Amino acid sequence: MTVPTTPDTQTAPASAEQRVNAGIGRSVLRPDGIPKVKGNFAYVSDLQAEGMLHGATARSPFAHARLVSIDLTPALAMNGVKAVIVQDDVPGTAMYGLEHRDQPVLCDGTARYWGEPVAVVAAEDPETAKHAAAAIVMEWEELDTLDDPEEADAIDSVFRRVKVRRGDQDAHGEVVIEGYYEVGTQDQAPLGPEAGLALPDGEGGVDLYGTSQWVHADHEQIVAALGLQPDQIRCHPAGIGGAFGAREDMNLHIHCCLLALVTGRPVKMVYDRAESFAGHVHRHPARMWYRHEANRDGTLVRVQAKLLLDGGAYMSTTGAVIGNATYFAVGPYKVDSVAIDGVGAKTNNPPCGAMRGFGAVQSCFGHETQMDRLAAELAMDPMVLRRLNALQQGDPMSTTGQIITDSLPTVDVMDALVAMPLPDDTDSDNPLHLPGGTGLTTSRSHVRRGVGYGVSIKNIAFSEGFDDYAEARVVLTSVGAEVHTAAIEVGQGLVTVCAQIARSALGLEHVAVVFDDTSSIGSAGSTSASRQTQLTGNAVLEAARRVREMALERIGGDDLTDAGVWRNGELIMSLDALYDAGPIEFTARYRHPATFEADENGQGTLHAGFAIAAHRAVVEVDPELGLIRVVRIDTAQDVGRVLNPQSVIGQIEGGILQGVGLAYMEELVIQKGKILNASFTDYLLPTFLDAPDVEAILIEEPGEWGPFGAKGVGEPPTISSTPAVAAAIRDAVGKPLNRVPILPEHIVGV
Amino acid sequence: MHKAKFDYHRPESVDAALALLQQGGKALAGGHSLIPVMKMRLAQPDALIDLGRIPDLSGITDEGDSLRIGATTTHTEVNQSDLVQASVPVLCQTAGMIGDPQVRNRGTIGGSIAHADPAADYPTVLVALGATVHIQGPNGSRDVGAADFFVDLFQTALGETELITAVTVPKLAGGAKASYQKHRHPASAYAVVGVCAVRSDSGQTVVIGGASATPTKVTGPMGTDEEVMSSVAAAITDPMGDTYASGEYRVHLAGVLARRAIAATA
Repeated sequence: MTVPTTPDTQTAPASAEQRVNAGIGRSVLRPDGIPKVKGNFAYVSDLQAEGMLHGATARSPFAHARLVSIDLTPALAMNGVKAVIVQDDVPGTAMYGLEHRDQPVLCDGTARYWGEPVAVVAAEDPETAKHAAAAIVMEWEELDTLDDPEEADAIDSVFRRVKVRRGDQDAHGEVVIEGYYEVGTQDQAPLGPEAGLALPDGEGGVDLYGTSQWVHADHEQIVAALGLQPDQIRCHPAGIGGAFGAREDMNLHIHCCLLALVTGRPVKMVYDRAESFAGHVHRHPARMWYRHEANRDGTLVRVQAKLLLDGGAYMSTTGAVIGNATYFAVGPYKVDSVAIDGVGAKTNNPPCGAMRGFGAVQSCFGHETQMDRLAAELAMDPMVLRRLNALQQGDPMSTTGQIITDSLPTVDVMDALVAMPLPDDTDSDNPLHLPGGTGLTTSRSHVRRGVGYGVSIKNIAFSEGFDDYAEARVVLTSVGAEVHTAAIEVGQGLVTVCAQIARSALGLEHVAVVFDDTSSIGSAGSTSASRQTQLTGNAVLEAARRVREMALERIGGDDLTDAGVWRNGELIMSLDALYDAGPIEFTARYRHPATFEADENGQGTLHAGFAIAAHRAVVEVDPELGLIRVVRIDTAQDVGRVLNPQSVIGQIEGGILQGVGLAYMEELVIQKGKILNASFTDYLLPTFLDAPDVEAILIEEPGEWGPFGAKGVGEPPTISSTPAVAAAIRDAVGKPLNRVPILPEHIVGV
Repeated sequence: MHKAKFDYHRPESVDAALALLQQGGKALAGGHSLIPVMKMRLAQPDALIDLGRIPDLSGITDEGDSLRIGATTTHTEVNQSDLVQASVPVLCQTAGMIGDPQVRNRGTIGGSIAHADPAADYPTVLVALGATVHIQGPNGSRDVGAADFFVDLFQTALGETELITAVTVPKLAGGAKASYQKHRHPASAYAVVGVCAVRSDSGQTVVIGGASATPTKVTGPMGTDEEVMSSVAAAITDPMGDTYASGEYRVHLAGVLARRAIAATA
């Protein structure tokens, strides 16, 4: 691990701020770290309320079917059942959805995907609720299941088509590489399941503590769906056990609120593991057709692609995901002739939405495999070819034509990665060091090693004209300061970074972060798109600077510490006295540089910022058994400025593990719209035994608008680690392997 | 879900256990298979008859040419037995590859074979070694060869009112060698495919587990790698598949693991 430990003097804060111990640039401990390790942290699923009821959900057993009749009486007749609700019982619009409100709160007479909620039950205990949900009698008439996205494309069953045309469409290179690629359906698989606790306020309103990535977006949808006034619903940030995009869309939230309103009692819902797999959106599976043309010297001349992502039954964020996939379809490379068509298909498969990497993951597997094949065709080193075509600051984006004004250290990232030493060969026969792990499955003599590379680019924050902002408030207290925000801490460390930024800006050590509900503060926007450190971070920075100014101005001080306000080296007023003299607080709202919708050729300033990452994977494979071990991932990442080295490394290691999982393990197996492996036995995830060693180099070239130059770091590690592992496996076994995850049977070729 | 209601008995002798079994209910040993299926309500026995306090059912004894392993002997006891290590080392090795430490500390050899999971490890090895299953019932005791004991998917020759009391395993004598090669499922640790090869004076025995409903003996020629692959493929007439491994992949795995197991017994 290579991390800087001293702040960059060029952008370092003024002297008072440098004095702070737990400010930016330090590996400040997370306030929630020790409680989580000791089991004292309250996740939503741990919450309790006196007299609370428990909810359960009855779901569609078919991917596409008409609900002919439903009989609730067997459920209602059960002892302890307090309410059973169907779509007709939902007041308001009874619809929800993140981009477009196209999803009924409960089945509207037609089930459009397997597992779609049909009815919800509230009962005195969870077992009774489950039995009651199972006792509901549903009569179905099965309809044709549209489960093939190519067929959906052909009949124009699509959520969004995105077209990019840039440059001379008749340009041609001397070498042509065509390829077809597939990405399977990955799941976010957060360990903490979907959960909510709704508390009725006795006046027709509800306080909801639910799993979320953006409480204000939840609030807006709940209010509309239930026909309530905005002040009747308060969404509270609550303890999240992993999100990765799965918490952007709501699932049980409206159900929980409505059951609480109907029964007048607190209602808690927690999905079990199988239900969690059916109850949240997934990463879009992709089919991609690519054509790269280049000159013999390696210069890219033209890139053409068609990208088909399956959005499933409801829109969720498919529009933005297919946008990202399309606009990042070329990767971090310069090419003047581009034609990309993206399609977000509408089918009867499980709905897909946000997952870490958000569309860039799928196309990265395509463009990076193409770059490797082009390098092989030209007999060039794959990283030399990439470097030759590297997109850099000042260049136009190859797809949108947007001139990149933000830092873009593509070449530095590539060079740093290539310069890292490769791990030595090993002759270890310890099963822990062999593919297949502890099962004594293979031995060293059967194992071959391979090396592969991947490089990626992704947008930071929301794009395409979205009004993307974050609000935060800093309040001076008698002992320090509080940062108030509705931004969601999902385990990534925002809580630590917000406090660090506030400390550095205020010059105070005693800073606490308070998570406010939707009635107490404005939106922080979504905890997604690697955006919170930059968006909420900037709002906190501005609010903290203003609070410091206000404190000093009040009595003409020149410095602020935890002791109080100073003038000429003398303490003139304690913090306590300052606080007693009247409140000092500032609420800041930060908007990133404006973005715009694309023109009809996909051209324009669509994105607010970019980040680059590169990965090198070393794998070992037993080609006869098809078993894989990822020995090591080396990475270099464009991080702008490191605010918390340990958190950055944590994001990089975790993101890489998710990318490694997609490369050779993680896939929801879906047949006729039905998920066949909704368990942690059958949906395979990398565990600690599968985790490769990770070495990271952080490239610090300050970004143009992040606080202190910081860039979001959460998604890039996930994007190019997958193609790097796939390339390494190809290198080891010598097969084309055009689909991830690469499963044992693909390697043995049965 | 919670289990349905049931009665619980803890007899202290085989006779008492058999008497209870006549009244219905299921015998409970380590509980690692039965309790999960009860939680899923795939099994709802009226009563559980816990065999854990019957001293006669547990332990390993040397019977000259063979070892007698009591039905409630745990996988850990087999794995750590000097007696087994000295005379049938492949059984030690196999016991150590079952599940995880918790499973090995609770799970028993009798429970494993009575459940007859096609992905279990013991059935494959016991069939390859020519073990004998000792059964006691209301009408006395009987012995069944391991190859005849496993009838179909989760089905054995054991009657509903009978108990397994022990398994007898012949010692590997006169330079005989055996090897068990397994591809464990990454999450469950069950055998996706397990292959046991035994080489003795009477020749080469190869048994495949995990690919079919019951352990499958390979009968064709196995002189070359190609012959092993084709004989194994021919022996597995109806391969099982799931989301992790298709039937085709299981057949392939069985061939490769058979080659490696045979090589290990050379």
